[in-house]
Amino acid sequence: MSTSAANSSDALIRCDSVYKIFGDQAKSMLESSGGVVDAQKFQEAGCIVGVNNANFEVHQGELLIIMGLSGSGKSTLLRCISRLTDATAGNIYIEGEDILQMNNKQLIELRRNKMGMVFQSFALLPHKTVLENIAFPLQVKGVGTKESITRAKEMVDLVSLSGRENYFPRQLSGGQQQRVGIARSLAIEPDIWFLDEPFSALDPLIRKEMQDEFLRLQGVLSKTILFVTHDFDEALRLADRIAIMKDGVIEQLDTPANIVLNPATEYVRNFTEEVPREKVLKIDSVMDPYDPSEEISDLKVPQDAIIETVAEAVLTAGKPVGVVNQAGEIVGALHASKIISILFGGHANTPDQQNS
Amino acid sequence: MKRSKNKTVRAMMVAGCVSLLSATGVAKAADSTSPIVIPIHNWSSQIVMAYVLGGMFEKMGNNVEYVPADSQAVYESIRNGDVTISHEVWQSTFGKSFYNAMAKGGVIDAGTHSATTLEEMGVPTWVIEKDLCPGLPNWEALKDCHANFTTPDSDGKGRWLEGPQSWHGDLMPERLEALGLADKWTVKFAGGADALWTELASAKKEGRGTVVFNWTPNFTDADGFTFIEFPPYYEGCRKSDGGDGKCGSPKGWLKKAANYKFPKTHPAAYTAFSKASFSTQQIGQMAALVDTDKMDHKDAAAKWLADNEDLWMPWTK
Amino acid sequence: MIEALKQKKYLQFILLLIIFVVLCMVIAPSDSNYLWRLPPLIKDLPLAINDSVDFAMFEWMPIEVYDPEIEEFEQKPLLKEVTRVSSGFILFMIELIREILLGGVKTIVAFMGWDWATDNQWARWPALPWTIVAGGAAILGYALNGFRLALFVGLAFTYIAVFGQWEPSMQTLSFVLIAAPVSVFLGLVLGVWAFRSRLVESILNPLLNMAQIVPHFSYLIPVMVFFGIGDHAGAIATIIFATPPMVRLTLLGLKKVPPEVGEAGLMGGCNNWQLLTKVLIPTARRDILIGVNQVIMQCLAMVVIASLIGAKGLGNDLLIALNRLRIGLALEIGVCIVLIAIVLDRLSLAWANKQTDYFADLSFKQRHKYSLMFGAVFVGGVILAGIGSLIFKEGFNYLYLIPHNKGITTENFWQAGVDWIWDTFFYSLKSFNEWLIVEVLLPVKNAYLSMPVAATFVLTMGIGYIVGGIRSALIIGGLLLFIALTEWWDRALITSYLVTVSVMISMTLGIVVGTLCAQHPKSSRFILTYCDTFQTFPSFIYLIPVMMLFGVTDTSVLIAIVVYATIPALRYTVEGLHAVPESLHEAGSMSGVNRLQRWLSIELPVSFPHMALGVNQTVVFALSMVIIGAMIGTDDLGQLILGALSEKNGVGNGLVLGLCVAFIGLAIDQVIRTWANQRKEALGLE
Ligand SMILES: Nc1ncnc2c1ncn2[C@@H]1O[C@H](COP(=O)(O)OP(=O)(O)O)[C@@H](O)[C@H]1O
Ligand SMILES: [Mg+2]
Repeated sequence: MSTSAANSSDALIRCDSVYKIFGDQAKSMLESSGGVVDAQKFQEAGCIVGVNNANFEVHQGELLIIMGLSGSGKSTLLRCISRLTDATAGNIYIEGEDILQMNNKQLIELRRNKMGMVFQSFALLPHKTVLENIAFPLQVKGVGTKESITRAKEMVDLVSLSGRENYFPRQLSGGQQQRVGIARSLAIEPDIWFLDEPFSALDPLIRKEMQDEFLRLQGVLSKTILFVTHDFDEALRLADRIAIMKDGVIEQLDTPANIVLNPATEYVRNFTEEVPREKVLKIDSVMDPYDPSEEISDLKVPQDAIIETVAEAVLTAGKPVGVVNQAGEIVGALHASKIISILFGGHANTPDQQNS
Repeated sequence: MKRSKNKTVRAMMVAGCVSLLSATGVAKAADSTSPIVIPIHNWSSQIVMAYVLGGMFEKMGNNVEYVPADSQAVYESIRNGDVTISHEVWQSTFGKSFYNAMAKGGVIDAGTHSATTLEEMGVPTWVIEKDLCPGLPNWEALKDCHANFTTPDSDGKGRWLEGPQSWHGDLMPERLEALGLADKWTVKFAGGADALWTELASAKKEGRGTVVFNWTPNFTDADGFTFIEFPPYYEGCRKSDGGDGKCGSPKGWLKKAANYKFPKTHPAAYTAFSKASFSTQQIGQMAALVDTDKMDHKDAAAKWLADNEDLWMPWTK
Repeated sequence: MIEALKQKKYLQFILLLIIFVVLCMVIAPSDSNYLWRLPPLIKDLPLAINDSVDFAMFEWMPIEVYDPEIEEFEQKPLLKEVTRVSSGFILFMIELIREILLGGVKTIVAFMGWDWATDNQWARWPALPWTIVAGGAAILGYALNGFRLALFVGLAFTYIAVFGQWEPSMQTLSFVLIAAPVSVFLGLVLGVWAFRSRLVESILNPLLNMAQIVPHFSYLIPVMVFFGIGDHAGAIATIIFATPPMVRLTLLGLKKVPPEVGEAGLMGGCNNWQLLTKVLIPTARRDILIGVNQVIMQCLAMVVIASLIGAKGLGNDLLIALNRLRIGLALEIGVCIVLIAIVLDRLSLAWANKQTDYFADLSFKQRHKYSLMFGAVFVGGVILAGIGSLIFKEGFNYLYLIPHNKGITTENFWQAGVDWIWDTFFYSLKSFNEWLIVEVLLPVKNAYLSMPVAATFVLTMGIGYIVGGIRSALIIGGLLLFIALTEWWDRALITSYLVTVSVMISMTLGIVVGTLCAQHPKSSRFILTYCDTFQTFPSFIYLIPVMMLFGVTDTSVLIAIVVYATIPALRYTVEGLHAVPESLHEAGSMSGVNRLQRWLSIELPVSFPHMALGVNQTVVFALSMVIIGAMIGTDDLGQLILGALSEKNGVGNGLVLGLCVAFIGLAIDQVIRTWANQRKEALGLE
């Protein structure tokens, strides 16, 4: 997909050389540095680098996951794009409009109609009930009480909280609170959906449940999503593309498979080392071209299935397995040897990238 | 020019629509209808007299308003026109505040009551009956009896409980010094009148001797209070006036004060006020209605007005 | 040796003490010795302040105003006109509420003028029967929080009416109903402003500290000069006194709002105003409501003092009752003040917690339930009053208005109680009193007075240096220098002596009783209610019994201060102990400590920083009581402040004296706060 970056016409969000540096002298230091920011040197001068020269695009309907250790600047990047904080330098375009040039009024309009955000700590209003919390963005917008409450009621159903409309946040469990947070961020039907570690504060069981919930919602809604997490499993389950950040720098931005298979830097390699490949890679990243002369098994596997889910079937099939696309046409063949090397082989065994 | 300036001010005030100042009509020869503001302090005779005078003004067709005020600070308010009159200006206690305000301008002297006052150190009468200080009320008796008047903090000396220092400054310590009593007696300044009355009450309960600053007419007259007789007062006898400081207090006056505009705005009421004069006995009556008969202040005033029509009616003419 | 000194704070303290004692012994007490007492270089400051206030108020920018009453043009200074007109608005509002409750003519006069009102005697607003007011208040309670609150409010108002305090209580109520909302509003505005701007915060902070410590008497005189005398002046003084805690708590609450909540608001599309009113302030509600509670308490605590500059109502009646030593009557009035405080507090709390129900599909009757109920009460009240006028043909219609002091009274009962206490305890207390004065108070007082000024500075600045470094030392030095250069240093020493002794007693009492009460939720709640009550209960009332028992002595002054200053000591101890994390309790229990050990080794150290802030508040409360102590009779700063009321340059004297008192407080505050913050950081509590 790295090639598709060239096709910038359908980019919904575009960041050009975005910097965010905290500190009183941030601007002047940045200017004198000429765009090459050394986090270490800045820190000594009392400036903290949040985002360091971010350049990327996000496409309509894409789910971009931003990853990195705590403090690497993920939240800051998200806040720059939603302009909760002003970037120190650079341009950020949403639908081609530079949001850094927007005045307060335009910005509010943008948020009221196009953006929604879910926060790690839920950030619910403690004095409002579930229903009031969800209706809040609508009421702020000036939608009448009756209408906004009706709409909020729908959202309550969507996130399966029916029956708890009149609870206060403090009366809900963490998972339920985050459902409210999700419902609130969706109430205005945003085009762009920001999620900043939405499930990190939840315990693992609930987290899994919420991820499923999230996938279900995304299936229904298909928004453009920027999703921050530092949980790789989560990222692999969800992402179209993944951006990996370190000290404010985006080290690599690519598909999950490429990140795992072709780490761009040592840091990314270390980051992905422990990740079991079969859980990441899809069939099309390891299949061979289809040779009609070859005899293949009756078993067909879909092109975008994760290897792990079909490995057993392929290994027991005895023959190469046909790979089909969504239309059911055979697009490639999968040999057991490839599966075996993924499951048991080392890093050296890197499949070709013809389909990425 | 003056006119137009004035207009803007008036416009501003009217626009505020709240200022009572602006709500005045065309001037008449008769009294203005704007209320006469009478202060209420915290002792009975003063409050009853306030309602008595207020009742009198109302009979004359004036509007009256009562406002609680501190008895020392009230003169500044009269000066500023926030309060119209003060009807009990005690010479030695409020004289200073009164003259200070007068010196700054805005307060006028509206005459003197026939009552004479005395403000002096003294003892409750039962101290004499018990013979705790043989020879009283003559001051020379103090030379020998101080042991009956000691307190824990008086360092073995007898104690005079004087009013707050703001009332007469160092008058009493200077007097003790001048009379050669300073090694036997010491002065403690009370915080306020409440403290004086409490001391009287608790000394009585305990049957202990006490020398307290007090005045007459006052409600304590009913219980019996004897003022100590010091060497007589004459002009210039006090230390602060260059004298030897041995003398006692003079028989004092009880004055009336008013804002300087009062005679112009309420000529009839002012005339009545300046004629008004109460005797010691009448003031005592007013206080007794409240203190002894436990009447409400307003009721007491109404009763007093009804009982004494032939006294105050002539003032209003 | 030097290394050890650098490390060990207690060694530093010992060294400091040694220097202090040596200085005390070396420096000879003589007026010409500047090490003994500094020359009063700023003696003329009060006069200068006075002159400038006079100038601003009575000379600056005179404008010609025609006074139709005396048919003359008058020179009126601009400032005075402005303050009078603006305070006139407050007065109008107070009168409006007052006349709705009690009837009258002022509101009509405000629109029609006195001439018209005099010519039309029929145009008088009638008073509401007390039954309607009490019933209406109960309905309000019911609407806000159900039956229990309604019952409480109804009973409170009935008590007030039945005990013959209706009129003064409604006068006080109308005054508080203006002063409290204005304070809350001002506090919110200033708090938000300080939240938005660091500059404003840093300017406001010392001002707030001062406004809290400067004895209210100090600004009574300026308020009187600027705004005149009457309910409006009382209200303004009250607002000055009641606003600071509101500002502080608003700021605190806003700072505590998690940043993500604010961001959630922004992402929800809030503009600045919506963010503030719909997100930040409601989220900070807990602290802001504590602020409202404090405002209400402070307003009612000021009722008595406000009456000195013209506020009508309970405060004035209380002073009159006390002047006649009618303690029983004063007590009944005091109860009314406390009741009003609690009623207002509960109602405002319930209002803030009120919830809307979006689902109920209400009929007309249900939707207008409360208005209908009030309508019924109104009609009922009028009918009752009508019946009353038939029953009570002569005298008073008890079903309409129970006149002042004509209700039932328990005065004799209380009087008997006071007598009983006197008879029972007087003689045993007398010897205690003598012992205390001779053995403790006088020596301490003399010790304070025999400190050379140089030694005092070394000691206080030294403590400041050890605790908070050079900055603290300089701040303390600066504050004390101001006092030392006035002519009131000795009096300030006496004030310090009173405050030191009473704070020590209060803290001991507060920590012991607070700890005992904190063991149990019920007793904790009880003690906190007690704190609320005594904070509003006018301290004047217990002055008299205390003076009866202990005479006009420093003991009485101390007791008066201690009763009041123990309130924060108690409150902060209980709160501090409750804030100890549960995990620490468990850790303690696991390592097998007994109760006392747990208290000594875990709870006390962990809650100590919070308690230290309690010490701070105790000092503030004690200083603010200095003036009340002066009403008994002292020779400290307080007495001069009282005296300033009658002086020619009272404004300047009052203010400078007030500053002296405040500076003592700020110096102590500097040490304690710095220390508490360090401890908190060390314990990881921030
Ligand atoms: N408001 C701020 N002021 C100063 N530094 C900040 C601020 N917000 C974040 N930072 C710093 O910027 C860096 C990136 O933070 P953040 O984006 O929150 O990291 P992440 O979300 O990846 O954990 C961190 O070093 C953090 O300390
Ligand atoms: Mg983050």
